[in-house]
Amino acid sequence: MQGGSSGIGYGLKYQARCISDVKADTDHTSFITGTLSLREENEVHLIRLSSGGTELICEGLFSHPNEIWDLSSCPFDQRIFSTVFSTGESYGAAIWQIPELYGQLNSPQLERIASLDAHVGKINCVLWWPSGRHDKLISIDDENLFLWSLDCSKKAAQVQSKESSGMLHYLSGGAWDPHDVNAVAATCESSVQFWDLRTMKKTSAIERAHIRNANYDMKKKHILVTAEDESGIHIWDLRKPKIPVKELPGHTHWTWAVTCNPEYDGLILSAGTDSTVNLWLAPISAGDEPNSEA
Amino acid sequence: MGTDDVPLDDKAKRMRDLLSSFYSPDPSSTPNAPSKYGILDAINTSSFDPDQYMNLLVQKSNLEALLQRHVEMAAEIKNLDTDLQMLVYENYNKFISATDAIKRMKSNIIGMEGNMQQLLDKIMSVQSRSDGVNTSLFEKREHIEKLHRTRNLLRKVQFIYDLPARLGRCIKSEAYADAVKFYTGAMPIFKVYGDSSFQDCKRASEEAVAIIVKNLQGKLFSDSESIQARAEAAVLLKQLDFPVDSLQAKLLEKLEQSLGDLRLKTDEIENVSLESNDTSKLGKVSDSIPTTAHEASVREFAEAIRAYRVIFPDSERQLITLAEDLVIKHFEMTKQYIKRRISSANLLGVLRTIWADVLLMDEVLCEAVLPDFSLEAAKDAVKLYVARTFTYLLQDISDALLKVNVKPKEAAEEHPLQVALEASKKAVLQGSMDVLLDFRQLLDDDLGLLVKLRDFIIDWVQEGFQDFFRALDDHFLLLSGRKNLSSQDHGLTEGVHVEKVLAGLVLVLAQLSVFIEQTAIPRITEEIAASFSGGGARGYENGPAFVPGEICRIFRSAGEKLLHHYINMRTQKVSTLLRKRFTTPNWVKHKEPREVHMFVDLFLQESKAIGCEVNQILPQGHLRKHRRSDSNGSTTSSRSNPLRDDKMSRSNTQRARSQLLETHLAKLFKQKVEIFTKVEHTQESVITTTVKLCLKSLQEFVRLQTFNRSGFQQIQLDIQFLRTPLKESVEDEAAIDFLLDEVIVAASERCLDPIPLEPPILDRLIQAKLVKSKEPNPITP
Repeated sequence: MQGGSSGIGYGLKYQARCISDVKADTDHTSFITGTLSLREENEVHLIRLSSGGTELICEGLFSHPNEIWDLSSCPFDQRIFSTVFSTGESYGAAIWQIPELYGQLNSPQLERIASLDAHVGKINCVLWWPSGRHDKLISIDDENLFLWSLDCSKKAAQVQSKESSGMLHYLSGGAWDPHDVNAVAATCESSVQFWDLRTMKKTSAIERAHIRNANYDMKKKHILVTAEDESGIHIWDLRKPKIPVKELPGHTHWTWAVTCNPEYDGLILSAGTDSTVNLWLAPISAGDEPNSEA
Repeated sequence: MGTDDVPLDDKAKRMRDLLSSFYSPDPSSTPNAPSKYGILDAINTSSFDPDQYMNLLVQKSNLEALLQRHVEMAAEIKNLDTDLQMLVYENYNKFISATDAIKRMKSNIIGMEGNMQQLLDKIMSVQSRSDGVNTSLFEKREHIEKLHRTRNLLRKVQFIYDLPARLGRCIKSEAYADAVKFYTGAMPIFKVYGDSSFQDCKRASEEAVAIIVKNLQGKLFSDSESIQARAEAAVLLKQLDFPVDSLQAKLLEKLEQSLGDLRLKTDEIENVSLESNDTSKLGKVSDSIPTTAHEASVREFAEAIRAYRVIFPDSERQLITLAEDLVIKHFEMTKQYIKRRISSANLLGVLRTIWADVLLMDEVLCEAVLPDFSLEAAKDAVKLYVARTFTYLLQDISDALLKVNVKPKEAAEEHPLQVALEASKKAVLQGSMDVLLDFRQLLDDDLGLLVKLRDFIIDWVQEGFQDFFRALDDHFLLLSGRKNLSSQDHGLTEGVHVEKVLAGLVLVLAQLSVFIEQTAIPRITEEIAASFSGGGARGYENGPAFVPGEICRIFRSAGEKLLHHYINMRTQKVSTLLRKRFTTPNWVKHKEPREVHMFVDLFLQESKAIGCEVNQILPQGHLRKHRRSDSNGSTTSSRSNPLRDDKMSRSNTQRARSQLLETHLAKLFKQKVEIFTKVEHTQESVITTTVKLCLKSLQEFVRLQTFNRSGFQQIQLDIQFLRTPLKESVEDEAAIDFLLDEVIVAASERCLDPIPLEPPILDRLIQAKLVKSKEPNPITP
């Protein structure tokens, strides 16, 4: 589909697997992304949409020691972000701070604030609480859920609590409820599990196989959007976990990531392995009107 | 001359005044009108002024004229004088004759008084005489009158004394009417003297009357009596002050009872007609036998009603309720009957019986408007029948489809999907045609009831088909397990579990949808147009109830949806396989590849199973490149020429190696291969799409891992092995090549040390695998 192919492009040197919007930068529309290259030198790019909206400008280019599998920007400090990286054999996660640039654009070193090095297995993602300042972080690896308390000034992160998901449940990712500081949804092979961070216990689950990605609606409570391998996108009302509220066809291959627009109701963006990004208009009540862009 | 004229004028004037005062209607007006006419004509008016006249005359006229005037006037005066004289004479004569007449009258009246006196005397004497006669005859007359009264009384007493005997005679001769007349005649006397003088008599006659009443009642209730007699009996009973209402109620009860009998009989008839219909397909012939029995009883009932009406003329209301009750019961039975599975011939039989009953009763009781009443009831019944028929059709189709589920193992050698598809196709088309034929029968029948309902039936059938296909679509989705999640209502298939839905069934459903869209709907539309056009009870603005376009659209989308669902189910299975394959081993510490990994076998087996299912049902596409002699998917036939395969794989190996070195470059210049094309309902399209999706998944799984050299080489080996069999079964070779290359590229990208296997080693390993797979082994059937 050639929907709106007049987009603005920005080229990276290598392949990338993740991009994050810089929420804390309220003056500009900024993104941060990191490359995924096993054998080359990886980079983190800070990109800003020019004021005219016609161009993407590289605001900062920093080298990163390893290939980046997951990256997310801190929602309250635009210079801080987290990455999950892999050396090929092992995984690690760290919190980084972008150094003050003072105009020059040559790749300075990123400042490592803290490394979340309590993990053993494959780390999947690091989550910030999306709604504002919160001194906690969550990191999820295959088997465990870690709650970290982060102190940026002391440049230290400590494991506050940890819980194993139990045998035979391989976690693959998660989402932190923007409406509730204590609720986290974690995706695993056959279900989405909901955790209460105070007790570190599972509260409930949606039984659904092959969920790749989940995201909360920023505006509406209890609404969760999930992306699945074959069966597309589902919108759930968490009070009714048996049946999805809505079903969208998704992508021709796997639907990899899905996220809700924080401002406009019913706008859902999804990315799939068929190399397309689809923008859905799916208000909970009315019909959907898919529009997609390669 | 003038002086001469004046006295004459005076005299004349006096005369004239006199005359005019005598004749004039209003003499007072004369003096009050002093005329100033200076005209000579004024001579005749009352206000004539002689002096003025003279002056005027003298002034105006000459002598000659005056003289002439004088002569004229003298003549006039003479004439007037004679006239006056005549008048006086006449008056006088009249007066004289009047005086004479008065004189005569006076003399006539004198003798009359004496005559009058005489007349009075005579009348007086006549009166006295008549009084004398009257008084002399009075006594005798009184006596005679007394005697007469006594005689009458005696006769009455006689009558009353005779009454019992007379009543007895009447009873004997069954002259109840006379008896009742006698008894009612004697009633007043009994009422007055019954307790004293005629006690015995009264008792005796009352006894007799009791017998009469009894007899009359018996007559009333006996069916053998003529209606006339029974009616008379009722009238007589009424005259005897017998409580007729209770009788009426009793009789009505009896009628109701017979109604109950009638209903039971209807049931039997239905049973009989059902059985006979089963044995001989001709409804009309078989119906005729039991109908006669039934008809007789209904006729009887109708007769009873007729009698009842005659007997109790004011009982219409109850009878109407009774008749309506009968009709309602009939239709209740019919509805019960419809709940069982019946053909329209059976329904026709039942309706015909009912209609005959209704007509019979209508003859007797036309006030009840039973035909209209039963029309309404029949409407419901036929509607129910139409709805039921479609439900059964849906059930049939569902059954035909679910046979795939029931015994997939038993029919494994044959083509269970094909069988199921054919069966369900037949169920849809033949079922629909049968249903239409069935309804045709209803339409073609000339039964009065159905003729009136024709328009409704047409609409119902059209609506029925519309709803039926919608329901079928729903049902398909339900069967395919797609709908179970979102649908709260559990309809016909309570037993179908989501997990147990076979992919094959989904494919059958997809193909059946296509069949319905392309074949069944046009056929049905044709058929409906041929014999079910019209209708119109819905009104033209709504259009016909059956909209084939809409149904076609529904099923086209259903077909596509189901096909996608099938592909999804299949790829999901492969996905699970691949996921296990790629998440289980530690690829960074992989050992050197020794043989082609087992997952390849499983993958091929899966794709073969898909091919097997697909080949059974779907038509071949026109782009088929590889001929396959056998469609059941046995390994031997697909690997019929191993020598050729060897060559191919060798050349492929070399190509793969060279490609690996220039992957990035090559990718840049390669035209982008369209991987995700539209799925068509052909064998090739489905297989290709499935394989493409699986390979894409494979690529994505590879991209999620990090490999060491050996791991990469293992992937290279596996992919290389896959290349030949996959290309053989798939239509779009270029896309498959592209995707397989993509997997290797992805693996090399994710490899720490991407050095491919040497071609000879690759070849050797592949050969070893081929040899191994040719041996009888448990993995490939």
